[in-house]
Amino acid sequence: MKPLRHVIAAIAGLALVTSACGNSNSSQDTDVDSSVTVYSGRSEELVKGLFDAFTEETDIAVNARYGDSGELAALLLTEGSASPADVFFSQDAGALGAVEDNLTELPEATLSMVDSKYAAASGKWVGITGRVRVVVYNPGLAPTPPASIDELLDPKWKGKIGFAPTNASWQSFVTALRVLRGEDDAEKWLRAFADNSPVAFEKNSAVRDAVNAGDVAVGLVNHYYLLEKIAAEGAAAVVAKNQFMKPGDVGGLVNVAGAGILAKAKHGVAAQKFIDFLQSETAAEYFRTKTWEYILTKNAVQPEGLPAFSELNAPSIDLSDLKSLDQTQELLQKVGLLTK
Amino acid sequence: MNAKRGSRVVLGLAFASAVVSLVPLWYLGVQSFSTGIESFAGEIFQSRTFTLIVRSVVLTSTVAAGSVIIGTFAAWVTTLSGVKGRIPLTIAFSLPLALPSYLSAFAWVSWIPSLSGFTGASLVLTLACYPYVMLPVAAAMSRLNPVHEDIARTMGRRQREILKEVVLPQVRRPIASGALLVALYTLSDFGAVAAMRHEVFTWVIYGAYRAGFNPTRAAALSVVLVAAAIFITVGETLLRGRHYSPGHGEPERARMNRTSAKTYIVAAVGSVLVLVPAIVIPVVAIASWIGRTTTRRVEWATVLDATAQSFLNGSITALVTLALAMPVAWCAVRNTSIMARIPERLSYLTHALPGIVVAISIVYVGIRVARPWYQQTPLLVFGQVIIFLPVMIASIRTAFEKTPRGLEETAQTLGADSIRTFLRVTLPIALPGLLAGSALTMLAAVKELPVTLLLRPTGMDTLSTKIWDFSTISDYAAVGPFAVAMLLLAALPTALLGAMSALRANR
Amino acid sequence: MTDDIALELTDVSHRFDKSEVLKSVTLTVRKGDITALVGPSGSGKSTLLRIIAGLEQPTRGVVRINGITVADERTWVPAHKRKIALVPQDGALFPHLSVTANIAFGLTDRKSAATGEQVKRMLDLVGLPNAGDLMPSELSGGMQQRVALARALATEPAVVLLDEPFSALDAGLRESLRDQVVNILHTAGATALWVTHDQDEALSTADRVCILLDGHIAQSDDPVSTYHTPTSVETARFIGETVSLNGNVAETGLSVDTPLGSVELLRHCAVGPATVIVRPEQFEITSPEDAQAAAIGRVVATRYFGHDGTVDVDIPNGVRITVRLHARLLPAVDSTVGLLVHGKVLAFRRDPV
Repeated sequence: MKPLRHVIAAIAGLALVTSACGNSNSSQDTDVDSSVTVYSGRSEELVKGLFDAFTEETDIAVNARYGDSGELAALLLTEGSASPADVFFSQDAGALGAVEDNLTELPEATLSMVDSKYAAASGKWVGITGRVRVVVYNPGLAPTPPASIDELLDPKWKGKIGFAPTNASWQSFVTALRVLRGEDDAEKWLRAFADNSPVAFEKNSAVRDAVNAGDVAVGLVNHYYLLEKIAAEGAAAVVAKNQFMKPGDVGGLVNVAGAGILAKAKHGVAAQKFIDFLQSETAAEYFRTKTWEYILTKNAVQPEGLPAFSELNAPSIDLSDLKSLDQTQELLQKVGLLTK
Repeated sequence: MNAKRGSRVVLGLAFASAVVSLVPLWYLGVQSFSTGIESFAGEIFQSRTFTLIVRSVVLTSTVAAGSVIIGTFAAWVTTLSGVKGRIPLTIAFSLPLALPSYLSAFAWVSWIPSLSGFTGASLVLTLACYPYVMLPVAAAMSRLNPVHEDIARTMGRRQREILKEVVLPQVRRPIASGALLVALYTLSDFGAVAAMRHEVFTWVIYGAYRAGFNPTRAAALSVVLVAAAIFITVGETLLRGRHYSPGHGEPERARMNRTSAKTYIVAAVGSVLVLVPAIVIPVVAIASWIGRTTTRRVEWATVLDATAQSFLNGSITALVTLALAMPVAWCAVRNTSIMARIPERLSYLTHALPGIVVAISIVYVGIRVARPWYQQTPLLVFGQVIIFLPVMIASIRTAFEKTPRGLEETAQTLGADSIRTFLRVTLPIALPGLLAGSALTMLAAVKELPVTLLLRPTGMDTLSTKIWDFSTISDYAAVGPFAVAMLLLAALPTALLGAMSALRANR
Repeated sequence: MTDDIALELTDVSHRFDKSEVLKSVTLTVRKGDITALVGPSGSGKSTLLRIIAGLEQPTRGVVRINGITVADERTWVPAHKRKIALVPQDGALFPHLSVTANIAFGLTDRKSAATGEQVKRMLDLVGLPNAGDLMPSELSGGMQQRVALARALATEPAVVLLDEPFSALDAGLRESLRDQVVNILHTAGATALWVTHDQDEALSTADRVCILLDGHIAQSDDPVSTYHTPTSVETARFIGETVSLNGNVAETGLSVDTPLGSVELLRHCAVGPATVIVRPEQFEITSPEDAQAAAIGRVVATRYFGHDGTVDVDIPNGVRITVRLHARLLPAVDSTVGLLVHGKVLAFRRDPV
């Protein structure tokens, strides 16, 4: 019984403290690299299977602590050098950027596995998978869907665009917009977008479902939401389609999930093995069939039914710049697109 | 041990408990000034901060006012109205305690999207918080002398006038203390304002962590919440007025008045208007998630495991909180010196802090001074205790107020020392109140997320972490079973709480 | 005739669920009188009071206040329209209101000068001219009770109902307060129905005493008649201490044969076996040699009360007699004494079973 185990652990912890010595994790540390502690900003439901596969392949146990990427970043910063974490596996680049000072530089072999624009300039983290911003559309209502963010401002889409204002990927897109076009033009675009009366949903999946049901014609989401629905309900049940943005359009931003190793990691070897595993074909296969994300490892086979990654020609942006999310939220606030 | 020394020991324990609850202040102090006083001032003194204060004040006062109205009404229905079925009614009115605000807010907004914003946030929070007013007010109402109402009636007052002139002035204090808890909870809540997209302090504090990756900013803004807590706590002290004891510890007298048809109608209509949006709608919405299509099978073993874990954590938290709260409540009630009231007031200071801030504080302090306990159950419990201490204190101090002092003195003249008097006289009499406080705390602990998420031992899953896990990937079909399990688990202590409250009122 | 009746109950009955609490109660209270309603606990006193106040609707019967029907089969005047004032057990002052606000509670315009004057009059009346600004918790029990009376009288009610007004007070205070309250009520010219379970209180304060036994009025009379000529063994026993003897009423119906010899009767009784009721103070202890002694007995116990005392004396035939006498005169236990009976006694015919 799992709960019982924790009680025993708690009592053991108490015993240890009263005897005023030792470290409750010591039992696991006899063999230095027999385990690796991962702070995962990616949901347990998404990556637990992958971690299990790693353990199966390497015999290294994964102690995973799941949480929100930003909160885990705050946790790492607060823990400082005492952190029990070896690896930070983040849902986005911003959180990785925030803890760069606590990370160690990755070996060249690791970094060179991906296009340099999907790794930190400092070499402290590497992108693993990518999520592409797309316009999901209902062909019945939008026979010619917009292929750039400026086309979205066309009055013909007034009241017909769905978006999820609190979603992190949407906010990353706005950050990219600010970075690429400058604050003033970004605000101009957002105001025009707001004037087009977009419909707010609480989640990306709700946007997708609304498009599929014909409640709105188009929606701003990540590419995999559609694939997820097709996998769940079968292709026949899904009428909506993905429209990828024109090459270079900021609306086609690629957000990455990436990983880095803590400078003070106690299990450095295992941590590196873990990163290697994330870049392996086993992991690629997992992502292809479970999360439908683009694999950032060069020359990787991509999930079925997606345009080739190289064709996307995503906008050029230093992903570390995406950490100015709080200014983005302030701007969204200002133009009335975030809260009510 | 003589009585005087005994009371000094208790006072010492009370101060120790209060200090425990102030641990987050250590972290806040260090973190908010980590980049110098100027940058701290820079974070705080912005026009946006002012806007946030206004928005938070408006939301907090709306929710507090709404909770006072609904909570007092519910207390009236379950005690003074004389309506039959007091026990089931009290349980029903307590049930919103079983619903986490993030779940009910999400249930509402996914049903009526236009509800998002201030309307939805205040609706959900009011319906979630009114039991914090209802429970102490119901206890106080059931202790009122029914003869007062008779006299007022013979002196020409109608039912409504009696409520206004005789009943309400005498329950001002429990109303004020309930409102205090509600106000502080509203300031600290993130779940409801997040789902409703209503920007208040917690929203920005979470944003500073999740989007800004800026703990210093989060800490600086949290300092404002501590200031708000001080302000509200002082305000409550001024508002609460005098305490009117129910006489010389005499037994409550039975109410003999018959309930008029009009009273029945008012009680019935009001109850339906409260209970349908507070319970029926969110529960139906959550239950309906189970029916949605999903790629996952429901793994009942996982649900059971998480339920057992939540139950265990909640129970441990409740017990530890009770142990820490007892000396504080005891001093606040029994010790007449001004010093004795300080611990209780201190425990409120951190109550307006969002869970994430408390969690990060415990991380900061824990990793420095309690390394072996870090990411172990003791620190997780410690974090939750800080959050729930005021709730526990508030609910058990009523229990101690009820124990007639004369009885304790009698016991002491019979040769029992202070400790034995406490164990054999005070404790048994206060026991139902202590149980009720523990049930309330356990409920809150089962629902709690941010502290659990960051401080739990690696690999520990509770119902709230599972719900969070699935909702981050928008799999509400998978959330369903865990949410229902949480409702069922939380319904147990709620029922206990409701039944106990009703029984105490009946006695 | 009806003009001087303040309160009139006719055939009032009341049941709670299945038990009949009041059985056809008929009662009148004259204007300006203090009427005591006395009965053991559970006799229905409180229910009767609540019915009069309009807090409870009787199952059956008519209630009239100053000649106006406030309750019968068709009429129901609720409490707030009855002009009845209540002084409950512990005063039940509103703890959140000052003494002044308590007294003014029943007055229509609580801010007016007339109200202020009335409150002042009441404070003077109950002898607390300077207590106006105090809170109830700052008053002693006796003061609280006087304020409660002032609050009740301020509205100039048709009837003041006093519900065991002193039961929460200690004995010494109770007696002095009792006299004060009687004076206040008479000074104010108020009509009062005073509920108590204390016979002495009833007899010493009231112009008229109504005994409520088992849900019906067993006797309604002036205090002296109530004590001396009770209408039944039950009322006799309830209203004061008694010594019951078995006796046999003589042919004349005017005297009775008892273990103490033949004793004269106060009132005629049917011939045959009867219960004879003697008050303890009717006995006198004398020396066993006293020729007038009705019986000789042995002292088995004595009780000392300070001002007086009682002696239990066993006389032949296994009869024990309790005698009340001056404490100075208490005989020694185990001594042999003679007994005298003073005055006439009452006999109640015992129906052969």
